[in-house]
Amino acid sequence: MCIGQCGNQIGSKFWEQLCLEHGLSPDGNLRTDLPTVGGTADRKDVFFYQSDDTRYIPRALLIDLEPRVVNGILNGPYAKMYNPENIYVGSDGSGAGNIWASGYRAGETLADELMDMLDREADGSDSLEGFMLLHSIAGGTGSGLGSYLLERLSDRFPKKVVQTYSVFPASQQVSEVVVQPYNSLLSLKRLTQFADAVTVLDNAALSRLAADSLRVQSPTFDQTNQLVATVMSASTTTLRYPGYMHNDLVSLLASLVPTPRCHYLMTSYTPFTPDLVDQAKSVRKTTVLDVMRRLLQPKNRMVSTQQSANSCFISILNIIQGEADPTDVHKSLLRIRERGLASFIPWGPASIQVALTKKSPYLQSSNRVSGLMLANHTSIASLFKRILDQYDRLRKRNAFLEPYKKHPMFADGLEEFDDAREVVEDLINEYRLAETAEYLA
Amino acid sequence: MTSQAKDNGTQRRSVPSREILSQTDRVVNAISQHHHRSRSVKTTALDQQIRASEGEKMVSRASSSRQRERSPLRRQPEKQQGENVRAVSTESSSMTSVIHQQPMMLSTEVTLLSTALSPLALRVNPPPLSYQVQGSKKPTSLDRMGADVQHAVIMEDLLYVLVGSEGQYIRFHERYNPSVEADRLSGPEFRLAKGLDPSLRDLTKNLLKLATHRSSVEAFIEIQSKTEYGVVNHALCAAIRHIMKEYLALMSDMEYKMLTSASFTLNTFHIETMDMARKLAELNYIVQQISRKEESIAEYTDELGTDFDKIMETLKANDGNLNALNNIGISKTTSMITKGGDVIKLLTDRLYSVSGDPAARELLTYLVREASRPYMKMLNMWLHRGIIADPFNEFLIKEQKSIRRERLDEDYTDEYWDKRYTLRKDDLPPQIGDGRTCDKILLAGKFLNVVRECGGVDVSNEIKDAPETIDDPRLLSNINAAYAHANEYLLSLLINTHKLSERLTSLKHYFFLDQADFFTNFMDVASHELRKPAKNVSTSKLQSLLDLALRQPGSITATDPFKEDISVQLNEVGLTEWLMRIVSVSGLDPRDIAAMQLSTTTPVTDKSSERDDKKAITGIQALQFDFRIPFPLSLVISRKTILRYQLLFRHLVALKHIEQLLGVAWLDQAKTAGWARRSKSVHLQKWKSKVWNLRAKMLVFIQQVLYFSTTEVVEPNWSSLMAGISDVNTVDALMQNHVDFLDTCLKECMLTNSKLLRVMAKLMSACKLFATYTTQLSKTLPGIDSETADADSGAVDKVTKLESILLQYEQNFDHHLKILMDALNYYAATETVVLLSLCARLEVCMISETRNGL
Repeated sequence: MCIGQCGNQIGSKFWEQLCLEHGLSPDGNLRTDLPTVGGTADRKDVFFYQSDDTRYIPRALLIDLEPRVVNGILNGPYAKMYNPENIYVGSDGSGAGNIWASGYRAGETLADELMDMLDREADGSDSLEGFMLLHSIAGGTGSGLGSYLLERLSDRFPKKVVQTYSVFPASQQVSEVVVQPYNSLLSLKRLTQFADAVTVLDNAALSRLAADSLRVQSPTFDQTNQLVATVMSASTTTLRYPGYMHNDLVSLLASLVPTPRCHYLMTSYTPFTPDLVDQAKSVRKTTVLDVMRRLLQPKNRMVSTQQSANSCFISILNIIQGEADPTDVHKSLLRIRERGLASFIPWGPASIQVALTKKSPYLQSSNRVSGLMLANHTSIASLFKRILDQYDRLRKRNAFLEPYKKHPMFADGLEEFDDAREVVEDLINEYRLAETAEYLA
Repeated sequence: MTSQAKDNGTQRRSVPSREILSQTDRVVNAISQHHHRSRSVKTTALDQQIRASEGEKMVSRASSSRQRERSPLRRQPEKQQGENVRAVSTESSSMTSVIHQQPMMLSTEVTLLSTALSPLALRVNPPPLSYQVQGSKKPTSLDRMGADVQHAVIMEDLLYVLVGSEGQYIRFHERYNPSVEADRLSGPEFRLAKGLDPSLRDLTKNLLKLATHRSSVEAFIEIQSKTEYGVVNHALCAAIRHIMKEYLALMSDMEYKMLTSASFTLNTFHIETMDMARKLAELNYIVQQISRKEESIAEYTDELGTDFDKIMETLKANDGNLNALNNIGISKTTSMITKGGDVIKLLTDRLYSVSGDPAARELLTYLVREASRPYMKMLNMWLHRGIIADPFNEFLIKEQKSIRRERLDEDYTDEYWDKRYTLRKDDLPPQIGDGRTCDKILLAGKFLNVVRECGGVDVSNEIKDAPETIDDPRLLSNINAAYAHANEYLLSLLINTHKLSERLTSLKHYFFLDQADFFTNFMDVASHELRKPAKNVSTSKLQSLLDLALRQPGSITATDPFKEDISVQLNEVGLTEWLMRIVSVSGLDPRDIAAMQLSTTTPVTDKSSERDDKKAITGIQALQFDFRIPFPLSLVISRKTILRYQLLFRHLVALKHIEQLLGVAWLDQAKTAGWARRSKSVHLQKWKSKVWNLRAKMLVFIQQVLYFSTTEVVEPNWSSLMAGISDVNTVDALMQNHVDFLDTCLKECMLTNSKLLRVMAKLMSACKLFATYTTQLSKTLPGIDSETADADSGAVDKVTKLESILLQYEQNFDHHLKILMDALNYYAATETVVLLSLCARLEVCMISETRNGL
């Protein structure tokens, strides 16, 4: 489910990436020009379903209140792949105007139509396990409409896993959208309450990473989105290329999120190579240890957070793709432990899980192994703290509140803001507490 | 020689051998006539012998009884010969009808035996013994003769004796009874009439030894040519007949010389027969050896009482024939017969021990070579075709036809493979007798047999260049080549035609869940059914659900070629209990699992049903898969190995199930408002955090164990097995690799150690209980939550109670985890090194003290 401008941009990249990995052509047919790989065990039906003419159709909903991005997709090479019924574009073409409230409002008015689409897709899935939501929390549509949908999802499918890939605003630079803190805060509340796992992505970190690996000064959105798509596809490899373990979302996420509220995950991926991102240079030696160590380095994370001395990991799941030798993995784990490369919460199990998966047989990669880390780290709280600070600053001045007050939710007052602030503050405190041994005491 | 002496001779001859003169004309020079006759008889006898030794069917030849020395037989009317054939076909081999115990009058008729011992054996009644015949005329006493006459009559007598008849002055000893087989085999003793000149006496006695040997050898030939003595004995007899023919030629030569040459004396006689005497002595030695061995076997079998198996087998072989009872008698004798490899072994042993004597060596080499021909034919058949053509059970491989391959399906002991063809270890010829060679022979044929049963043997090419005798220097290289060839054949059949690797891969899918998506799916759809107690679970329902999961398009198994072969089973014994039984029965050796299975399927069920009532297992615990393996593959993937697969499978399923339960608990705790919402009560909130933490801890533990079992145990072992398949040269090595692989997996998954098993079971059940406990709590939790909001005292109690329950769970889990870690450390250091890795992983994750040092 891709919502908003950002969500759709990432989403289209993600599906492109999936198509590549499953050997599908842009119109959804199996590509015949690829060498047939005997006995390859990929499950296309996790993210695709087959239409009557045996094309693979993504199980995707593209929703945006303004037509620009979606039209861009529909004019692109992959246009034929999507089910047109699953694309919703705001009719008036005005969008949410970067106002959370108008996005939320639009969700309320469009509820039936959207839920229809959701139901149809959900019914079309044999064993529906959960939803993946791609959006940004800064804009209007992604945050507002996304928040609304999160509420409705947990209402309609209370037992299904909801995982989101949420792009957080770039922290350092001055935001292009002034009401960004408002939007973020309000979305955060929903993410905290209704999502089961939120993969936090940070535009600033993404562009830094892209710049690093690509050696370009200012990477385009296209390039950063490519990074996100890679991460997303990597994090779902265990679902698509089933191995011994982690074949469903629950088993993937359950160990990552020991306490329900602390479900914000950060990711790192290494190495980004010329296959995945153009022009990057592959000068690295990719051994399992190397990959695992690199994954732990903060600079490879796709979120920029401020680490304090106390911040530590709650849990880690490393997904290693490629030909990894279990003994290598074992050695690497021991090494990481010896060197103290990762510090863990003092009160719970220090779970470094490793999942070994195959590489896509359809993609040729120059590295032997690549790895993705999904980590639950307490320093994520600093991000929330920053949003909170920005919000406080704006709120003190009561700046830019007018557009929100136009909408029914805020017409009577701004309690919703206070409520959301409280939730986020709680969250920050919980992460703080989790850094100490007193968490359980 | 005077004419008087000749006359005497004619007269005298009528006494011992009534038949000789009975129908012949009384001519004066009977001796010379006799001489001519016996010559011509010999020629026909020679003819027949040649044919006989060529191994033609002997019964057909039975009518033309070969009578070398008893020429009158040739004049038997054709009618009688016809009768003879019929008599043979009635097949009762006894000589008792011709026993003449009472002294009788000499009759001059020749009668045919109603039955003959063996196809080429003597067919006329033996002449009555001299001491049994009454009123025989006493010959002139030797005392009254001069040395010359003595010399002549004794020479004459010796010629008779040396072809098996009694003479005037040389008679059989009374102790000798030709109707007794043992007597005939040991050869007659002779009594020399008194008054023989001492100078002649010694030489005569020397020559009499030759006569004794000759008789015993003749008897041996007759007896051992019986059908049930087997082809090796037949071939040996044919070879000996050749020598006997030489012997006869020599004798006729002697007779001719005696009749024609005046200078032919007893001394020359002795010297000229010396070589032959040595040969016959050697033959006699062998005869005695073989018959002595038979006696000892007979004694041995007598001690055993009736060899019940043998009788049953004979009965079966005869299919309830009326003669079955008769045959039991035979079968009893067959069991005492020295035949086949044993004969060759005996000959070879003798050959080795006399190798210093060139003549004897030559003789024995000849015998070994000839006797081994049919044996080698069988061997080549077996080596190159996998066929046993062994009607007399003398080949080194024993086939038990009753063991059918259809039984492989429920066979937990590899009976078909191990017992259908076995070596007769006791009577292996030394040439192929050493362990490696005979194993190779056994396996080569066995493999070809399998290939043949699968219709794959290429019979078109002739068996070429195969050694025909056992002393052929190419013997071993032939065996080796055949062994290599058979291996290659079967391996390619297994690996290429029957796709062993693919089979194993799909076994891995189904039993090791290496692509567990279908199983996750199956557990989803079948969760309702699997929650029930195992007794109430409907297997057919599960089967259909499984089929559904397997066939789901897009799932990996949908394209698996062997998905039809998998079926659901429910075991009535829980995994841990079962393993505990195995472990307690066989110590640490999992090889006896097969035996265990047998006992669990039959008598133990009574006992266990009692226990099951107490601890009824649920469907998921009882669940196991079965995999139908078609024939040739079922040799490698036998029931025995499937059982091991099932054990591993159940272990993994148990882990997966708990992982799933904990996952459900997680989802529940994340989704249910009662759990996820922040509680007002600090106590309750802390309690919740603790619950989450314990759940997370358990999940991490289970996932680590699962990860270890799959990625660090199954996967590396698997890849080494697969790598081995392409390298393996012999089928047996392949089978061994496969079993070793499974055993290693079992061992490394901690399934073979009772202590680890027990701790793991405790930990797993703790996890399971906790998962269900928390899931149950989700319903009541909101209530408690709201109560605590009121700061009610009752609610506080409830919270305290919850806390104490949780504490129990925590302590229980931690305690057992500690035990497990200690045990793992211990066993990692002592026996299973791989456990070290699990140990380290758990340490990293679980023990907070060590972790703080990070």
